[in-house]
Amino acid sequence: MRIVLTVNGAVREVDVAPVARLLDVIRETLGLTGTKEGCGEGECGACTVLLDGTPVNSCLVAAAQCAGRSVVTVEGLGSAERLSALQEELVSHGGAQCGICTPGVLVSAAALLSRGGVPTDAEVREALAGNICRCTGYQKIVDGVRAAAVRNAAAARGAS
Amino acid sequence: MSLHALADHPFAAPRSLAEACALLAERAARGERTVLLAGGTDWIVEQHLAPAPAADAPLPLVADVSRLAELRGVAERGDAIRIGAGTTFLELRRDPLVTARLPLLAAAARDVGAIQIQARGTLAGNLATGSPAADGVAALGALDAVLELASVRGTRRVPIAAFYTGYRRNVLLPDELIAAVEVVPPAPGSPFAWRKVGTRQAQAISKVALAAVAELDRSEGPGARLTRLGLGMASVAPTVVFLPEVRALGLGRPLASIDDEALAAATLAGISPIDDVRSTASYRRHVAVALVRRFFESLRAPS
Ligand SMILES: Cc1cc2nc3c(=O)[nH]c(=O)nc-3n(C[C@H](O)[C@H](O)[C@H](O)COP(=O)(O)OP(=O)(O)OC[C@H]3O[C@@H](n4cnc5c(N)ncnc54)[C@H](O)[C@@H]3O)c2cc1C
Ligand code: FES
Ligand code: FES
Repeated sequence: MRIVLTVNGAVREVDVAPVARLLDVIRETLGLTGTKEGCGEGECGACTVLLDGTPVNSCLVAAAQCAGRSVVTVEGLGSAERLSALQEELVSHGGAQCGICTPGVLVSAAALLSRGGVPTDAEVREALAGNICRCTGYQKIVDGVRAAAVRNAAAARGAS
Repeated sequence: MSLHALADHPFAAPRSLAEACALLAERAARGERTVLLAGGTDWIVEQHLAPAPAADAPLPLVADVSRLAELRGVAERGDAIRIGAGTTFLELRRDPLVTARLPLLAAAARDVGAIQIQARGTLAGNLATGSPAADGVAALGALDAVLELASVRGTRRVPIAAFYTGYRRNVLLPDELIAAVEVVPPAPGSPFAWRKVGTRQAQAISKVALAAVAELDRSEGPGARLTRLGLGMASVAPTVVFLPEVRALGLGRPLASIDDEALAAATLAGISPIDDVRSTASYRRHVAVALVRRFFESLRAPS
């Protein structure tokens, strides 16, 4: 089945099985391997992408359900040459260690930060509750996300 | 793991509720299976865990209902609030009518999985899968929801207490789908409780969960009586239970005269918990009794 969708801002057409997992379309058909598979069952959040701006587990979405919609993967948040504030702060706070959870954490956190303002610790933890991390103990992730929110808020004030 | 079988499923995307019903009717008449795909957070996980199907077994048709406009939206209808069955938990917890008039349902929606699951998971999927741990079913049960089942033959309305017939079994016919749920909201400010007891706050299936609502007539002072009482309890029986014995006890006499022993007995009469990977029967009995007792304590406390 031919499916047209927007991936990281670019219109893409893919020819895939309609009930293929979005995760496999992203990694195998589109070659965007930043998105990871942890559990394949909606538990770990390593496969998190934005579907029309909202975090979803791409292991639980059928390809055909994405026709005409917008998908953002970790590759859409920033590049290795130009990291976003969120990516920089996560790294500098030690919120990315082995890295398997990191793409999903970044995508969930980006959705939270897109609402603007500086979230509380509790708000960050709720937004990231569906992203399991076995390395950091979470506090470093929370610190990194909040530091990025502070930077973004300052940048927004500077711009206005 | 049988993910290759997942991608092999035939697929259809009906464009309207009428088209979806016609498709179900045609296939049911031929004895062919159809899976309605909403958020996929139950069905795709089940495929992941299922053994690989026999090579010659026909796979069901997967029909995407996640974008059917007729299954979405929250609206007032007379005294009731009608919620499209395809509404997601994230939409529920953000909906102004739900948060203002059905705070119990909003609270339950906030506790389903985590945001990724809430963004996809729907009431219809929660109801149709009918897991004994289904949070949406517990909340809708406490609110005495009526389910609207649609087919080419028309619409029938089934009270949630008459929907389940056993472990993951219900009265839905092969040519029917769940179109909506209707709930009469409790009077504004009515007491309610949502308590989910599990190992972790998010993403954890409950060991026991209680949804409860009540309306209270305080005009008789110490003789205050309940004029409405609804309860739904998850993970304590093969299906979510609605505790009819507690309802009968609570509605029958002045609140002050209901003692903890009678409450505990009525609670235990409505549940049949088991030992499983998440908990034990005896812990579940203990927690079930405590949750109902605390709800009644909160009702007796002067407001
Ligand atoms: C990590 C994780 C955490 C979870 N946490 C919770 C939790 O905390 N609480 C909880 O209650 N559940 C939880 N769930 C289970 C699941 O998310 C919910 O049951 C959800 O409501 C299912 O809805 P869905 O739209 O994704 O269903 P789907 O998977 O799309 O469908 C499930 C079933 O419903 C049928 N169906 C779908 N739409 C209709 C319709 N309109 N009419 C008739 N049948 C229909 C399908 O054919 C299928 O058989 C969790 C799941 C995961 C993976
Ligand atoms: S791989 Fe999708 S949630 Fe774990
Ligand atoms: S950094 Fe290793 S799992 Fe999170």
